[in-house]
Amino acid sequence: MTTTPDAVPDDRAGESAGAAPAAQPGTGSDHALAVRNLSKTFGSGDEAVRAVEDVNFAVEPGTVVGLLGPNGAGKTTTIKSILGLVVPDAGEVRVAGVDVRESAREAYRHVGAMLEGARNVYWKLTPRENMEFFAAVGDEDPAALRERHDALLDQLSLTEKADEPVNDLSQGQKQKVSLACALARDVDVALLDEPTLGLDVESSVELRREIRRLADNEETTVVLSSHDMDVVEDVCDRVIVMNDGGVVADDSVANLVDVFRSHVYRVDLDGTLPGRARDRLRDRYDAREFERVAGGNPDGERFVVSLAEPARLYDLMDDLREAGLTVVGLDSLEADLESAFLELTDGAAGPDGARPAGETGESPAEGAAPADGGVSGRE
Amino acid sequence: MSDATPAAGDGTAASRARATGGGDSPGRGTRGTGGYWTLFVAMVKHRVAHLRRYPVNTLSGLANAMILFAVIFFGGRALDSRALADSLEGIIVGFFLFSIATTAFAASAWGVTRESQWGTLEQLYMSPLGFGPAMLTRTVVRLIESFVWGAGTLAFMLLLTGETLAFPVVTLLVVGVLAVAPALGMGFGFAALALLYKRVENIFQVVNFAFVGLISAPVSGVVWARLLPVSQGSYVLGLVMREGRRLWELPSTELGLLVATAIGYFVAGYAVFMWASRRAREQGLMGHY
Repeated sequence: MTTTPDAVPDDRAGESAGAAPAAQPGTGSDHALAVRNLSKTFGSGDEAVRAVEDVNFAVEPGTVVGLLGPNGAGKTTTIKSILGLVVPDAGEVRVAGVDVRESAREAYRHVGAMLEGARNVYWKLTPRENMEFFAAVGDEDPAALRERHDALLDQLSLTEKADEPVNDLSQGQKQKVSLACALARDVDVALLDEPTLGLDVESSVELRREIRRLADNEETTVVLSSHDMDVVEDVCDRVIVMNDGGVVADDSVANLVDVFRSHVYRVDLDGTLPGRARDRLRDRYDAREFERVAGGNPDGERFVVSLAEPARLYDLMDDLREAGLTVVGLDSLEADLESAFLELTDGAAGPDGARPAGETGESPAEGAAPADGGVSGRE
Repeated sequence: MSDATPAAGDGTAASRARATGGGDSPGRGTRGTGGYWTLFVAMVKHRVAHLRRYPVNTLSGLANAMILFAVIFFGGRALDSRALADSLEGIIVGFFLFSIATTAFAASAWGVTRESQWGTLEQLYMSPLGFGPAMLTRTVVRLIESFVWGAGTLAFMLLLTGETLAFPVVTLLVVGVLAVAPALGMGFGFAALALLYKRVENIFQVVNFAFVGLISAPVSGVVWARLLPVSQGSYVLGLVMREGRRLWELPSTELGLLVATAIGYFVAGYAVFMWASRRAREQGLMGHY
């Protein structure tokens, strides 16, 4: 697991990191996508904004990877750098072994992209016309891809709408057209930026199914960014969490969730915490979500803690006892990807701001963790 | 992938997996079977589909030019019919060039702006055929379209006025393309502004008016005016259409200057556009609108 220890308080992080050999992104030819030491700062001087710094990861063929992060985390810059739409200050991106900076046109043969949902298709054209157009833009003969286009239209439930202008379609259908255009020709890597944004449940499920099919049946590598945790949890083999321009976690969904499952507790007290005790809990146990519970005599208080290791629970109890409070309830919270994500991004964005993976010495390139996430394949 | 031709960079696990034909792939095609001609045909189909799907919009564009000319013609005749008759041929030639130059300019400048707004510019940028060639192909298609509209407007003007002009087709095409080339270059130049500064549509409107001045610039009296974009083209086009001169009958200096200004402005505009696309990528502005 490439999660930085500071960001993920888990004693198994080290095991995971040590268990798998560290792959050096970009050096192996078996990766469908490799990003190595990617850095980009926009502007200069006082107005300089560091978008990404020392980002490293590599993705194996047929894998679906979710790129998660809060706004400004660097997801879009990373995706645009992969696509050559942003020129990085440093680093290397290889798609199917081809360096995007040195041989952009060759690299584009291997990649399709769906950016900003339903944009990037022509709304006045029909889905079929769009697919044919973008196949030709991708240096393919649309006539030779007719069968592929028919199959895609069918798989995305667009056959009946194939010859209607995109403008007349629903939002979900428009996004499917956008996906179909990204796949209008055979590509090794598909980059999907918020593919399910604004979709109804049914369309979202259909789109997820199609993404999964691409990876499982066609060995297409899919990198998708999304704010929808359900989508990521449902469809991704692996998740890369970014915060403040760096990768703070890179692992399978199951492992990420597992890290938090046992060590997040909700604590109920028989009284309210004095301000100083609350600050101490915040500092020592990452306590949060303080909430007064009325109805008792006196009123109680409740909060949530994330513990680096189970043994820390004893320390917590001692501290509470010293504050003269009794624990009346203790629940181990079931973690999901969303809680893991919140932990990771909050943890990284501490009082001093985020710390990119590179600064912690945990960057995949430095060998602290496997660049391919340590966990491959769909479990 | 059925019978894929391995491209550079293949040999990865992804490519190998495909070469062995795993999965129920929906009819994969070969890679790199398209080429520039296929792209050109796709761009033509794209444009025709646009025009056919919205016939009112298409026809109103053509009607606008015709109505504008009709207003000039009947208005001028009401004010001073003799003066109008003396300069009518020049007005028709100038209006014809204005029609195709503004259409070509719009195709470059407005076209890039709209593609950027639609989010399709990034897709064109990511063409394995190259962004520059893709944009040039697009421009050629729009240039042809501008000539079609220009021819329609010209036919209308001749019918309305009863005038006759010479139409040495090959000469007209060559001189016409050379005359419009600076407008295309200007279009690329302003498209570059749109890439970097986004909302610059108001400047485009001003340029449309500037074409009136450029086309009617007194190149025979003011030598430096020949160096202005479109001005020399307007003058030489007048020699062809009003005097019926063929390509080989045109003064070599006039023709040379026309070629020089055409290439100069077009290449400069294209170079600025490509520079701007690089800057836009450095600044993270590509596809950002």
